[in-house]
Formats: sequence, C-alpha cells, structure tokens
Amino acid sequence: MADSSRTNKRSSVEGEAQDSKRIKTNGDEKYNPYLAHLNEDNGNYSNSPLDKMHRHNTTALEASRAEDSDLNPWTGRRHSENYFKILKTRRDLPVHKQRQEFLDMYHSTQILVFVGETGSGKTTQIPQYVLYDELPQTHGKLIACTQPRRVAAMSVAQRVANELDVQLGEEVGYSIRFENRTGPKTLLKYMTDGQLLREAMHDPEMSRYSCIILDEAHERTLATDILMALLKEIAQRRSDLKIIVMSATLDAQKFQTYFSLRKEDPPAPLLAVPGRTFPVEIFYTPEPERDYVEAAVRTVLQIHAVEPEGDILLFLTGEEEIEDACRRISLEVDDMVRESDAGPMSIYPLYGTLPPHQQQKIFDKAPEPLKKGGRPGRKCIVATNIAETSLTIDGIVYVVDPGFSKQKIYNPRSRVESLLVSPISKASAQQRAGRAGRTRPGKCFRLYTEKAFKKELIEQTYPEILRSNLSNTILELKKLGIEDLVHFDFMDPPAPETMMRALEELNYLACLDDDGNLTRLGSMASEFPLDPGLAVMLISSPEFYCSNEILSITSLLSVPSIWIRPNNNRKRADEMKAQFAHPDGDHLTLLNAYHAYKGAEQNGEDVKNWCHEHFLSFRHLSSADNVRAQLKRIMEVNEIELISTPFQNKDYYTNIRRALLAGFFMQVAMRESSNSKVYKTVKDDQLVLIHPSTSVTNTYDWVVYNEFVLTTKQYIRTITNIRPEWLLEIAPVYYDVDSFEKGEIKSALVRLNEKVRRRQAMKGGR
Amino acid sequence: MGLAGAKNKRRLGNDPNNTKWSRNTESFGQRMLRSQGWEPGQYLGAKDASHTEYHSEASTSHIRVVLKDDMLGLGAKRNNGDECTGLDAFQHLLGRLNGKSEEVLETEKRERDNLKLNLYLDRKVGTIRFVPGGFLVGDVVKDKLDEDAANSSDGTARDVSKESREDSTETESVEKKSKKRKAERDDTDRDEEKARKKEKKTKRRNTDSEAETDSASSKDKKKEKKERKSKKRNADSDKGDAEPTTSSKSSSKRKKDKEQAADESSDDAKKAKKEKKKLKKQKKERKEKRRKDRAVSESGSESLENSSKETKPRKEDKTPADSSVSTPSGSGYLTPVTTSTRYLARSRFIAQKKMAFADTAALNQIFMIKS
Repeated sequence: MADSSRTNKRSSVEGEAQDSKRIKTNGDEKYNPYLAHLNEDNGNYSNSPLDKMHRHNTTALEASRAEDSDLNPWTGRRHSENYFKILKTRRDLPVHKQRQEFLDMYHSTQILVFVGETGSGKTTQIPQYVLYDELPQTHGKLIACTQPRRVAAMSVAQRVANELDVQLGEEVGYSIRFENRTGPKTLLKYMTDGQLLREAMHDPEMSRYSCIILDEAHERTLATDILMALLKEIAQRRSDLKIIVMSATLDAQKFQTYFSLRKEDPPAPLLAVPGRTFPVEIFYTPEPERDYVEAAVRTVLQIHAVEPEGDILLFLTGEEEIEDACRRISLEVDDMVRESDAGPMSIYPLYGTLPPHQQQKIFDKAPEPLKKGGRPGRKCIVATNIAETSLTIDGIVYVVDPGFSKQKIYNPRSRVESLLVSPISKASAQQRAGRAGRTRPGKCFRLYTEKAFKKELIEQTYPEILRSNLSNTILELKKLGIEDLVHFDFMDPPAPETMMRALEELNYLACLDDDGNLTRLGSMASEFPLDPGLAVMLISSPEFYCSNEILSITSLLSVPSIWIRPNNNRKRADEMKAQFAHPDGDHLTLLNAYHAYKGAEQNGEDVKNWCHEHFLSFRHLSSADNVRAQLKRIMEVNEIELISTPFQNKDYYTNIRRALLAGFFMQVAMRESSNSKVYKTVKDDQLVLIHPSTSVTNTYDWVVYNEFVLTTKQYIRTITNIRPEWLLEIAPVYYDVDSFEKGEIKSALVRLNEKVRRRQAMKGGR
Repeated sequence: MGLAGAKNKRRLGNDPNNTKWSRNTESFGQRMLRSQGWEPGQYLGAKDASHTEYHSEASTSHIRVVLKDDMLGLGAKRNNGDECTGLDAFQHLLGRLNGKSEEVLETEKRERDNLKLNLYLDRKVGTIRFVPGGFLVGDVVKDKLDEDAANSSDGTARDVSKESREDSTETESVEKKSKKRKAERDDTDRDEEKARKKEKKTKRRNTDSEAETDSASSKDKKKEKKERKSKKRNADSDKGDAEPTTSSKSSSKRKKDKEQAADESSDDAKKAKKEKKKLKKQKKERKEKRRKDRAVSESGSESLENSSKETKPRKEDKTPADSSVSTPSGSGYLTPVTTSTRYLARSRFIAQKKMAFADTAALNQIFMIKS
C-alpha cells in the first residue's frame, strides 16, 4: 500500500491539529468499516489503521499500533480517556506478552488449543487478538466466543465492549437463551455454548463465523462437548474456519490429541500462558473427619482466630448446608467477638439459586476492624462449586475444602437423573486450592487425609455428557443431521446404555420413527429449548384443548420451584400453599398459583409484596413468565394453536391432566396395593414414595410425576392423578400389555383392557 | 452391624438395577445401535480415534455412586458397631493371651495409665495453654524449621502444561516436610522433651512447629491430657511419614509383620512392633489388631487403609480452645477448635450468669442497689 507508511507516521507522530482535520474528513465521508474492503485501494479511507493490516498476516506490533491510535478503528470515533486507562491494564495481563506468539500459531494452524489459567486474561483478550487479526469487517464473517454460563457471556461481553470502547450490542454483542443482544454491526459475539449449538441446527456449516472460540472447554459441559465434535467435523469441510479451544487446566493433552483432525496428523498445537498465581500451601487433616460440616465450621473459626488477614472461601454442597453453616459460623463468630477480641467477619452464602443482588454481596469489602488498630475483619464466603472455576473473587487467601460437591448423575436403567453429594476429583481439588493463591500466597485446608486424596478421589471430574440423560442431546444431533450416532466423534463417548435409553425415549415420544429417523414432531420438538418430554407435551396440547394452560405449566416446570418455605415459617407457608392446592395434582396447583399471580398483576397489586405474602418466589414466577413468553413465540412460529377449554367446562382440568400424559406417559407410577403408600414406576419397577412436598392429600392409584428424586429414599415429586384408561388411549404403544413383565401393573392393565373392550362392545351393541 | 446399630430399613424392588431392561436385546435403542455397527462391550465414538486412550470406564457403563446420607467426611467410615469399648481392663490379660512379651505389655499399661491420669487431670483442673516459642537448634532458637524452602518449591508460578508434574512436587514437598519432622524428632533430646511435655499439656495447635513438637512428643509416652487425641494423631502422622517414602505395599507389610509378631514374635517383627507401640495408643492398637484379624483374608493393603481411616477419636476430644493461642503464621496442621471445651467454658459462663440472676444479693450488687 502506497500510503501505508504515511498513515503510519501520522497516527503516531501527528499532532492535534491534523487529528481534528482527519476527524472532519471522517464525518464528511461517513466512514463505514463495513465498506472498508471496497475501498481498500482508495487512499481516502486509509486513515483507519486497520486498512494496512492483512487478514491472517498481522503482527502484534500492528495491532498495538491500531489500539494506540486516537481513533477507534472499529467505530471511527475518538477513543475515550477511559479506553487508554483500560488499555494499560490490559497490556499488563499475562497473555499480552505472548500476543505475537499467539498470532504466529494462529496463522499456522486451523485448530489451536490454548491453555491459560484463570486470571491470565484469556477470555477477554484472545477474542480481541483474533478480532484484530481476522478483521471481520473485510469479509463479513463473525467471531464467536462461547461460554458455559449465561452470566459469564453477558458480563464478559460488557467488559470487552468497554475495552474496545464500543457500545454493547453493536460491534460486540452477546446471545444467550432468552436474550439476543447483537446487531448488524456485530463483529465479535459472546454466546452460551448451548446457543451456538442451537444456531448450528439451522446453519450446520456455521457459515456465519470465521473463527469460533470455545472458552472454558475444561468444564466439559454437554453443549461444549457436542460443539467440539461438531466443529471437528466442520473443520474438515471448511478449511477457512479457525477454531480455538481454551481451557484452564490440565488435560490439554487430551484436547490436543482429540483435535488432530486425521489420525495420522500430529496433535493440535498448544499455547500455554502462565496465570498470575501465588503458591498455595496445602494442609490435610491427619485423620478423616466425622462430620465434614462441623469440621469445616471449626476450621473457618480457627482460621479467623489465628491466621493473618485474608478472606476465606469454604466449599460446601448445597443450599441448605450452606445456609446452616453460615448460621453456625456467624453465631460462633459473634461469641468470639464478644468474649475475646476477635476481628469482625461477614459471612456470605453463594449458590446458584440465590437472588443476584445477594450474589453480588460476595464482592463487598471485608469489614473494617471493630476499633482502630483492632484485629482486621475478614469475609467468609460459603459457596457451592460455582466458586470453583466460574467465579473469581479477589482477596481469597484461605480455602477450606471438605472434598464434596453435588453432582448430577444419570442412571439409564432406572432413568433417574439426580443431584447427589459425591467426592470431588483431584483436578477439582487442585482447582479449589488454586483459588487461595489469586492475590497472594495462600493456604488450602483439606478436610481429609492425604491418603484419602490419593486413593478416594478420581483424577478428573466426569464430563457432563457421561452424567446426563441424553434424550435432548440425541434429538439435537438428529436435527443437526448426524445419522451415525454410534460413531459420532465424542471426546468422551457416553455409555451405550445411556444412548439406548435416549433413543428409546425419543422413539416412544414419536420424535424418532422406528427406523431412527427424525419425525416431524421430533423436528418441531427440537425447536424448543426444552426436554423432549415437555416439548412433545406442549406440541400436542392443542389436541386436548388446553395449550395455554400446558404452556404455563411447562414454563413453571422449567424454572426452579416457585414455592418458598422458610424454616422459621413453614406452617404459614404450607397454609398459603394450601390455598392454591388442587385436589387432583401438583401440576394443577402450580397452575392455580400462576393464575393467581397473573390475577394479582392485573389487579394492579404490588406483585412483589403479593408474592411475599403468599410465600411464592417472585423471581422464579417472573422468570417463568419470561420463559412462557419465549415459548409462546416459538409456538407461534411453528403454528401451534393457543387454545383453552372454557373454565366453566367440567373438562377444564381433566383435559389438562390428559395433556400432561402426552409428554409424561413414561413417568407414571401405580400404587402397589390399596392400603400402601408405596408406588411402583411403570416398566422400570422402581419402588417410590410421593414426595412430602405434595399438596395432594388423597391417595390415588395412578399418578403421573414430573421428577424422580433420589435422597435417602426414592421419591416422585410434582404428581397428578390420572386415570389408567387414558394411558391406553394416549400412549398405546408404550402401554402395549405384551411388552410388560408379569406383575401387578401388567394384571392391572389387562383388567383395564378388558373393561375398555366391554364398554366399547356395549356401546357398539346399543 | 451390631445389634444395637441404627437400623436403616429399605425395601428394594425385585430388580433394583433393572437388569431386565439392560438385558433386553430387542429394545429400540439396542436395535438402533446394533444397526449402526455397535457390538455389546464396545465404546461408542469414532473408530480408532487417537484419543481413545483417554476414555474412562464411565464410557462403558453409567457412573455408579454411593448414596451419601450422612455427614461423614471424606475417607471416614461409619462405626458399624464392631468396635467395642471398655475393654481396657482386660488389655493386659488379652495381650498375654496373644503372646505379647511382658516388656511390651508394660509399656502399654503405662500408656493406658498415663491416658487415664491425663483425662482425670483434664476433668479436674483443666489445662494450661502454651504458645510455641520456636525450636532450639544448637544455641539459636529458630522460629520455624526451614520448611518454607520446601514449601515454596511448589510455589513457583504454575505453568499449566506442567500442572500434572506439579502435583507431584506438591506431594514431594509434603514428603520433605514429613521427613524433616522425623529427623527433628530424632534430634530432639528426649528427656528435655519429656520434661517439657509433662508440664505442658500442650494442646494441638495450628502451626507446623506445633505439629512437630507433637509428633516429637509422641515418641515419648504421652503425658498430655490430650493424650488420646494426639496419640491418634501421632499414629496417623507416623503413618503419613512412612507413606510417602515407603510404598503402600511395604507399609502393609509392616502391618503384617506386626501380626506375625503377635503370633510368633519374630525378632524383626517385634522391633517393628515396638516402634509402633511407642507411637500408638493402646486402644488404637487393639483396634488395629482386630481389624487386622478381620482383614487377614482381605488384601493387606486394604486392611491398612481401613485401619488408618477408622481411627476413632475425633477432634472433639481434643482440648482447649486453640483459637486463643497466638500462633506464628507459618502453619502446619490446622487443628480445629475443640468444641467440647468451648462449650464447657461457655456453659460455665452461662451457669454463672444464671446463678447471679438467681441471687438477689448479687443482683443488687450488680445494679448497685443499696438494700
């Protein structure tokens, strides 16, 4: 380029006067970065420092120069003061030192594995480095960066928009399940991995993107796993698509091997950036603990008493346990403060279902000493394993790790997916310990012996794909056009039984035909971001004249429980719930509560207050409302009718109960005998009890249930009474008597068949 | 499980694992997979992919977990009622019947007596706390042994690609530590230690140095009222010491040796036994033996694991509120505050308050009312 050297000089040397002139020209010409490539040889537009850079041939120096220029190369506007401030901190990040190295590798390979610990700046910086290299405005293809969590996608996008000095939603945007904040100008897009997967269903070649960055790949979410396999396949067809897999931990080798496209290829190249971490001293207990919560509480107190300043992070397994521990710690700390001169300590719980404003509190400063010169205060965060990788809290110096977390487990034989407390993995224990070394050297107290660490913990946490019901995933894969599921290139293939179960469920739901092909129903069901059962129920609800109601129930079932039952006010909460109770089932109770909520909203009441009075969760109700709106939109697109049976009609509730069966006929239980409280699930023959949270007081012989809960006993939760005749009518294939094993259920069905036949014969005879 | 154990009745169905389903070769799922070339016993996933070496067993069958319905910490085993208590009085007799030498029996007896004495003293007059004041090495008192150097070895900025190696450095440093501890123990003058111990009733503290003194002290007879606890601990730490250096196999061998000693008292075994005994509380020993006997049929290593895990007494019987001890920041084992004494002190405090409220004279005094 002829004038490149001139521009160069200008951007670095030129003074204010010329700058202002340039801006003026800019304004006149309506500089548009999207059209820049049309004018590549036209000197008039060369004032953007990007013009002299060539895609896939840039250097860190060029990019830095572009970043340093007074004009924002992406918008053509002047950089704000703040921009340069942020730029300076960005240049201090560990990744920055290796920018050139990164670019060199990026240019030389199609798939790159990038390892950088949390704190290296990879999530915010790498996509920008790619942006300055891909120069998406020249060819119109976007850069995507996936995140496992919605919150991360949103907050990182905001951060990067600030760093680039652009508006969020314009050049930098994000897209998550129920929210899309991108525009026509968007060049860099953060999104959840699930969202990219959904996009892939409609764009199997991912043709909108020139580079896809999979961040936090070490978390191995279901969607990331599928995306990796998918991208690996696409990469072989589309040589122009670049892929970066970013991981924070160890098993980089596994990623490298996996991403050698053909067997004879060498492993994908790896670039590692050291994080900014300090040493963490690790302590084990000399002997196993009797009660890990008790031990954890004591450890926290002990740290508070004797260790120097620094915040504490304690890992526990679930909401109840965390709240309990918080209570105990704060009681004891109060005592300590009263009886000796211990410093103040603020204690914050942290778990997924906590309202956001309370989650924010963990970033508050530790309390000041009680008196001047007194012992320093500290904060103690009691968290689930969300604090393990996803969230960085500065100031943590002590980590207390009892070695447990709640993990999802799926058993394809009993078809139960449940969250169970189980030992963590070694990798995750190291990750937890690492949290102590973010700001200065820290300590990690493990409440187990070193022997237990070595012998009882598995090496790596099992990826989600091995722990989940796959029916939704299989449906997505089918929709993506993957025919050969057996040889689909999973990084960790799921157990064959799990896949069999998924296929079988989809077949019964009529999402797959008997040859394993996607049916129309299945294709439609895959449009919904729901489990296939729920989706099928929703799609077939118009046949039962109650799609409005089923839509509401579906939304309510896809958010966390709307019932609040505070420990100190259980009785009152139960009374309030009883107001909404429907004798026939919990699904209907949910619906009643939702209708009451909408009623209160329409009456112009203060809904928040109303919810509080009625012990309902405003947050979850309103998010159900939001989900409902989204699902409604999808239904409209798919031309699914929205209808209701008139409320006065005696079949109003009957229709709803029947419609439930259309999606949940595989989740039915029959009472064992007339005076027993034990139910037996159909086909899988698991003995279950009805969860005590139910509002149903009668005992019915047949119930449909929403979930199977495994605690000390096996429970079914959210149940509704059904009539067995409906089963034969709605799901004749599943309830084909011949497919049942001998037992109470089979004989009940045989009797039922007999009855139905007789009734029909009578009708016919008449 | 003993008869007195908590009963946990649970009804199981005829086929809780639903093998009926998994054996059914006619199911739709199985048909589909077979039609695409899958054979039972094979992994799913790409054919001869290079990453198959990384597949775990969870890719063959679903993950099985044990339902956890208690608060037991990692590695702790439930007391199934097969460990009896109150056999102290018979230890001597039983020991003789088991063919232990008089000498050994004597030491065991002394240990028991010490424990009793300490417990008594603890109950009667309480304990005094001491603050660690460093180690006298030659003529100089050192705050800490040069453990920091060892620890910092894993402290270098972590290079992720080396992460796995790092694990080993971590354990290495632990190893170093424990070795040092051992060495330390040997070095310290025993008498001096003993004397110190006697007046000290040292309680467990957070610091390494503390742990060291403890383990050192453990070698001597336990005088501490904390005895029980610390002994256990010592035993444990002893085991810990041995572990990194010797393979688990060898340690299991050690155990077996012990067992032999019980029967035939071979020279070698006796020696090992003695060493152990010094370190271990008698109760524990008893337990171990029982366990061992039980485990003979099982593999040696397994029994070892059990034994170390089952060490009974908890932190709770550990004594005083360590929290009030000011310890140097370089820490070792963090010993949680013992609740018992905390509660003890607190309940005493509450009782005093109550008494004061009940007593009008005292109340008047408190509120400065002249009667």
